[in-house]
Amino acid sequence: MGLFDAFDASGSALSAERLRMDVTAENLANAQSTRTANGQGPYRRKEVVLQEAGSGTQASFADSLQAARGVRVAGIVEDPTPPRRVYDPGHPDADAQGYVTMPNVNTVTEMTDLIGASRAYEANVTAMQTTKAMFARTLDLLK
Amino acid sequence: MTVPIDPSFATSGGEWAVEGAAPPAQPSGGTGFGSMLANQLGKLESVQDEAAKASQALATGQASDPEAVVMAVERAQLSMQLASTLRTKAVEAVNDVFHTQV
Repeated sequence: MGLFDAFDASGSALSAERLRMDVTAENLANAQSTRTANGQGPYRRKEVVLQEAGSGTQASFADSLQAARGVRVAGIVEDPTPPRRVYDPGHPDADAQGYVTMPNVNTVTEMTDLIGASRAYEANVTAMQTTKAMFARTLDLLK
Repeated sequence: MTVPIDPSFATSGGEWAVEGAAPPAQPSGGTGFGSMLANQLGKLESVQDEAAKASQALATGQASDPEAVVMAVERAQLSMQLASTLRTKAVEAVNDVFHTQV
């Protein structure tokens, strides 16, 4: 690995965790949205899919370390679980039976995701600081 | 009468050659110490420039990725630390040569 590869890996993870935080915030913000941006159906919970960066054709672990460049976002997918149905006849989006289709967002799940993203971010910051400290210690050898 | 020293004499004379030691490799196509140093300093400058640009983008509100700015600044700082430590070491070595007792 090169001089700054550990930095690049941690940096990509920081960006990825921030995106996770963004998506979780979006889910929480739309926990009561009965319409999507194009006006159809309730909001569906989004989730970030992360993938190891690199070509993925390495034969050994050492080779994969050579090519490792951290993490990358494979995509943002929608949660396929069915939406909640809440009885609220006064709601403008209620159907003939008086039921409103609410988003499949569970606030408690989102809060745990939020804590997970925050802690993962901290872990990567710590990895970065340790890399920096190791580098500085190496330079101290020359003094 | 003194005979002027022929510079080619010292290196080509068999009398001066160290037994069993290979002659030092001649730098070819600018791969010497000086060009290496210039090359590395050029890289250092580009890293510093990148960090300055990223910081300015953050200050003017144009940066969308704060992590990238931090990475650029950290990279610049570590590169500068490495370069300055190596410089200090090189200056120290030159001073040692100057202080050699003759």
